[in-house]
Amino acid sequence: MDSITTAASVVAAGLAVGLGAIGPGIGQGSAAQGAVEGIARQPEAEGKIRGTLLLSFAFMESLTIYGLVVALVLLFANPFAG
Amino acid sequence: MIDSAGLYKRASEPLLASSPLQSDPAPPEGGEVLLETSSDLGTSSDQLVNFESSLEASNKAETDEYARLQLRIYLLTLIVTAFAASITAIVFDLFSAISLLVGGLSGLLYLRLLARSIGKLGKSSNSLGKIQLVVPVLLVLVVTKSPQLELLPSLLGFLLYKPSLIIQVLLESKT
Repeated sequence: MDSITTAASVVAAGLAVGLGAIGPGIGQGSAAQGAVEGIARQPEAEGKIRGTLLLSFAFMESLTIYGLVVALVLLFANPFAG
Repeated sequence: MIDSAGLYKRASEPLLASSPLQSDPAPPEGGEVLLETSSDLGTSSDQLVNFESSLEASNKAETDEYARLQLRIYLLTLIVTAFAASITAIVFDLFSAISLLVGGLSGLLYLRLLARSIGKLGKSSNSLGKIQLVVPVLLVLVVTKSPQLELLPSLLGFLLYKPSLIIQVLLESKT
């Protein structure tokens, strides 16, 4: 792997993780805030709120995982390496 | 006779006058109000204790519901992973099926860690833990270092928890 491909792969890996984590991070923060407020207002619905939070977090965090996987593939199993 | 009767009448008047006074069961109003207030206090404290115990019971039931939801999701993920691994073993080769199985089990571990982080949210921590993100990192590292495992089936196997979540949501919406 030449140096330009290596440098571009490292930069792309960083951008994939960094940019890919912005949206899910904001979404998870607002979802967690709403869930904690809901549990505080209505403690008897804690199980349902946590269950819905688990489902929504699993879908939200998969977006972060996509970026993470792309970054790891670029770093450890680069398909553009000669 | 008359005198004696009159005397008797006069003698019986105080008895008649005093007996209703002694047998009058009505207590003064102030005492009755005090008694009612104290009995109300006792009833309200009992109601408060009953409310707290019912609240604790409902919280425990909700926690049990969350645990049951987790178990259902894990079971569905296991079923979907086993089904997909068997299909892959039939259609493709055994190594791809093993890679898919490894990815599915790591997805299950990721889901377990995510559920634990969500369970701690609001109780012992104010933000979601990031420990579950170690699982895909370790999966990719192990798969790229191991010559028998393949990357694409293991990543697809890792993402097999999403169909199980969708199935769980569909089952919940039906019931």
